[in-house]
Amino acid sequence: MASSTLNESKQLATWYFTFAFILFGAQLLFGLVAAIQYVMPGFLFEILDFSVARTLHINALVVWMVFAMFGSVYWLLPDETGIDTVGIKIGKLLYWIFVAAIAVVVLVYIFVQVGPADETTIWFIMEGREYIEAPRWADFGIVVVALGFVANLFLTGIKGKQTGIVTVLMADMIAFAGLYLAGMFFTDNISVDQYWWWWVIHLWVEATWEVFVGAIAAYGLITMIGAHRKVVEMWLWIEVAMLFGSGILGMGHHYFWIGTPEYWWEIGALFSALEPLPLVAMFVHVLYDWGKTQGAEMNAEHTDEDSVRSVIQNKPAFTWFVFNAFGNFLGAGVWGFFHTLPQVNLYTHGTQFTSAHGHLAFFGAYATILIGMMYIAVQGKNNIKVMNNTKSSIWAVSLIVGGVMGMTVALTIAGYVQVLVSRAQMGATWAGYFDGQAGMWFAQGMDWRLIMGVVTFLGFLLLAKDLLTTGKNPVHER
Amino acid sequence: MLDPSLIRPEIALDDFLPIFVSSVLAMLFGGFYVGIYTAVKVKMLKSWAMPIAYLFWLFTAYCLYIMGSLMHVGEFTAKALIVSMIGYLLLPHAVYHMQHQVHEENEH
Repeated sequence: MASSTLNESKQLATWYFTFAFILFGAQLLFGLVAAIQYVMPGFLFEILDFSVARTLHINALVVWMVFAMFGSVYWLLPDETGIDTVGIKIGKLLYWIFVAAIAVVVLVYIFVQVGPADETTIWFIMEGREYIEAPRWADFGIVVVALGFVANLFLTGIKGKQTGIVTVLMADMIAFAGLYLAGMFFTDNISVDQYWWWWVIHLWVEATWEVFVGAIAAYGLITMIGAHRKVVEMWLWIEVAMLFGSGILGMGHHYFWIGTPEYWWEIGALFSALEPLPLVAMFVHVLYDWGKTQGAEMNAEHTDEDSVRSVIQNKPAFTWFVFNAFGNFLGAGVWGFFHTLPQVNLYTHGTQFTSAHGHLAFFGAYATILIGMMYIAVQGKNNIKVMNNTKSSIWAVSLIVGGVMGMTVALTIAGYVQVLVSRAQMGATWAGYFDGQAGMWFAQGMDWRLIMGVVTFLGFLLLAKDLLTTGKNPVHER
Repeated sequence: MLDPSLIRPEIALDDFLPIFVSSVLAMLFGGFYVGIYTAVKVKMLKSWAMPIAYLFWLFTAYCLYIMGSLMHVGEFTAKALIVSMIGYLLLPHAVYHMQHQVHEENEH
């Protein structure tokens, strides 16, 4: 996607988006492998076991999103600050270090897979903490890259125009990078280890990443539909307050059963119940700004109805942004709230309910808006004035959204069987675990998850085609 | 033979399906409430649809009540759920009001 017509910051952004997209594909492929293994347990046995496929699936997820987030920031920085990004040469060098580190880590996951479970494993193969399993040498590399990225952001933000969006991103990204440190050290007490590990996972996805989404949505509304900056930025600050207000102590819902004190039950229940509220607010916000801006255009004087133009400058991107508003509310808010009370979580913890929530929340809250940013980058790279939907873009969004929703429903039904059989009837015993998985509804849920996973992957292929052929497509206005 | 102490007694087995269905409906109805409210306010839907939005909020609250009752939630959680439902009723109004006021102040 790289282009010589872009300034260096945006060029670097396209590099980040390109690698993010490749990892997105890898995430889906390894997810398919793991889904097949639920249906055919012997598939790739002792070649690429479920544990390895799952590790690759969820780590690729986190890393492609981090790459796309860095890309999004490098893309919007020149627009927001009015100057070229400071330290872009170092930024480019760090990009290649990041890519090389990720490539080596992935190759080690695939070809080495396991170690002797001592210090060398932690340092050179994997740390064993879900989502952030990178070995310690890569951890240090990631810290260096993140510090360089934050330095570029801060130096540019301080030197250039300090818009509300950039200011929020500066505060947010330093928290985002700093929290990673909580997942780097090793303790031999699993409760203590999990306690700190959640600082990375929860405080990333339910605090700093959500704030990031708010900032990107604000940038998108301004660039795509010409929303009023002052309004959007005022709203952004409210979202930041609401997200941090509920999200930080909402972490209590991860502390129900890991050996932490029981007061976390009340804290977790209360603040988790509040967590969907900012997501409702974000949903209303996006639709309000769209309706208001489009309404102003429709009320303007026109000689005939056909001359009422759409205010949207990038329709595929905006479609993804709207799905973000819906998906964030549904996946993170509703499916999260579904099992966030301790009374419910006692039964659902560790079942496919968690997986259903994870799939819809990561997709709805983050993948959607980051794909939208990729479309904005493709529009800028190809000097397109108004980007229209194509058959590929419509099919891509339909298949991906339909596929992920289908997976979510299938996993939710499978989770219900586990709750009823494995937990309620069998008392969370070893036998109950296997009885639950042997049930017909569970097995069919896994079948449908695989089918819907294939649908999602087909949508990804169409998305790739659409993004790669945009430059030559005559439907866009230049 | 399964150790009886392993079975949690709080929720009757027969109540699991009603709990599951009521919580699914609470989610769906809650989504309809916010969606219809917002769509009417930004004039994507006619104003006669607004009572339907509130009807969906009532359904949401009722489903949550059924869910909480069958789960035998404690006093604290029951209060948290009531506060959540009141908050959920008011929030779209507050959000819309803030949006509208800020637009008015900055565009007129």
